[in-house]
Amino acid sequence: MTRLSTDILVIGSGAGGATTAAKLAAAGRHVTIVEEGPWVDPDAVEPFSLEEMVLKYRHRGSCATLGTPPIAYAEGRCVGGSTEINSGLWHRLPSYLADEWRATYQIEEFTDEVLDRYATEVEDAQSVSSLPIAPPPSSATLERGAAKLGWRAVEFPRVFKYDEQGRGVKQTMARTMIPRAVAHGAEITPNTRVVKLLLDGSQVTGVVCDREHPDGTTERVTIEADHVFVCGGAIHTPALLQRSGIRHQVGRGLKVHPTIKIAARFPNPLDHAGVPMHRITEFAPSLTIGGSVSRKGHIALALSDSAADFSAALEDWERVFVYYAAIRGDASGRVYAVPGLKAPVVLYRLTEGDMSRLARGLVHLGESLLAAGATELYPSIIGGRVARRTDDLGSWWDAVTRSSANLMTVHLTSSVRMGEDQSRTAANSFGCVWGYRNLRVNDASLLPDAPGVNPQAGVMTIAARNADHFLATA
Amino acid sequence: MLWFERQVVDRLVTTADERRRRAIESFVDGALHDMPEHLRVSIGSASVVLGGWARVFRPEPSRLVRSLDTSPLAPIRQYVRLFRSLVLFAEQEIA
Repeated sequence: MTRLSTDILVIGSGAGGATTAAKLAAAGRHVTIVEEGPWVDPDAVEPFSLEEMVLKYRHRGSCATLGTPPIAYAEGRCVGGSTEINSGLWHRLPSYLADEWRATYQIEEFTDEVLDRYATEVEDAQSVSSLPIAPPPSSATLERGAAKLGWRAVEFPRVFKYDEQGRGVKQTMARTMIPRAVAHGAEITPNTRVVKLLLDGSQVTGVVCDREHPDGTTERVTIEADHVFVCGGAIHTPALLQRSGIRHQVGRGLKVHPTIKIAARFPNPLDHAGVPMHRITEFAPSLTIGGSVSRKGHIALALSDSAADFSAALEDWERVFVYYAAIRGDASGRVYAVPGLKAPVVLYRLTEGDMSRLARGLVHLGESLLAAGATELYPSIIGGRVARRTDDLGSWWDAVTRSSANLMTVHLTSSVRMGEDQSRTAANSFGCVWGYRNLRVNDASLLPDAPGVNPQAGVMTIAARNADHFLATA
Repeated sequence: MLWFERQVVDRLVTTADERRRRAIESFVDGALHDMPEHLRVSIGSASVVLGGWARVFRPEPSRLVRSLDTSPLAPIRQYVRLFRSLVLFAEQEIA
């Protein structure tokens, strides 16, 4: 067995892990990053393509929670984690949510002033900016629909660097924080899955991993570390802690943004290369309306979700685009690491209130798309009627049921919640796991609740704050 | 892929181009292989049961998918929906 040692071991290289590694390496600490997935050049495959799914997605994108209805979810599994596969939209953590979380979970040093300082720091590093040209038709559609209904819509900035023509390159972790960490001496080991943490009383002394070589063979490696940061995301961070015997509040309280979709057909062709940057925020944070990835394959999937005859619409796919309504619900889920299984089991049962919110979201989404000029709407509910006018939307209220709704999510948080209230949290205000002095979590798991927006900004902001706290105290 | 899964995929693929058919089957095979174990076991079990049913009752090959689609049992409809999703996505994305 190979033995390695490091000062600080960071497990996972997504938004939380890469930010942690970059901050700590820049401060002169000896940092090693282990990533379960491969290194994939950010330019190697087309965004949202089938090739990207095979190379960068965990389980090739085929994963779902257990529950009625099941919720399909996607996570990145490569250097850079989910930042390599997401839309790159940037939403700062809403200040009223930070206030609520600070009070409910007793989170220290979680004021607007602190969070704004770190948000500004990571935004500078990530080149967060708005589109320098007019929004593409798929995005303008949302703005137009909202304006006609008198609803509020906002163009959100993205982690994109633009040239003068408005062509943007997404600033993923593989382009920003990981190179920054490496430039400061950090080492990164891809294709390495951490099997368990090595614990000695209230200390973590290292990890046992399986490192996969290009020839397909696997080598068992032990990495000794003075400090360990677990940053594997809201599913795999609690699973690793559980596999290592750490269970207090771990894996409880998982939150997602359940999302329901419509494939909308328009009189004119739309753009299909990216994701709209507009969101209808009239009903936020309980409900957000936005646009989804809409390559031909995604359109086919969304059309087929309705179970209506969609062959004509698929033929006309250049005039079709997929939009969504995402809710911030009451339900929460659990992550279980089951002995003998590599993948954790994820349970999530929506409440009746959530089902009602989804129906409302679907109807509001339909209203906005018809107002924007859509001629046909295919809802992602089995047996849902194809809507051509506002009157048709009424039937959707009763059609969204546990057995008919086809749901998905890309936002997973809150499975190792942070705060000083030990009856509700698994880690303290800065991510230090209760009962262990040198074991920290620093990823989406820490967010005490679903943020109602893309969580990347919140994750990076909190990770930067926690890394500084570590440097000041450890 | 198990025998019955191959039958379902074979009937869902619409292209006659052999190279594309193989690429689509390979994508579906890879997706099933990479699935979390508990989901793969559930789908595999359903495939074995449905495969037994298909061998005994020998449904008309052209009506196989339709009979699954219209099943009164929601898990069977979910089963065929999964395969349809994988095939549809691959069929549109593989040139």
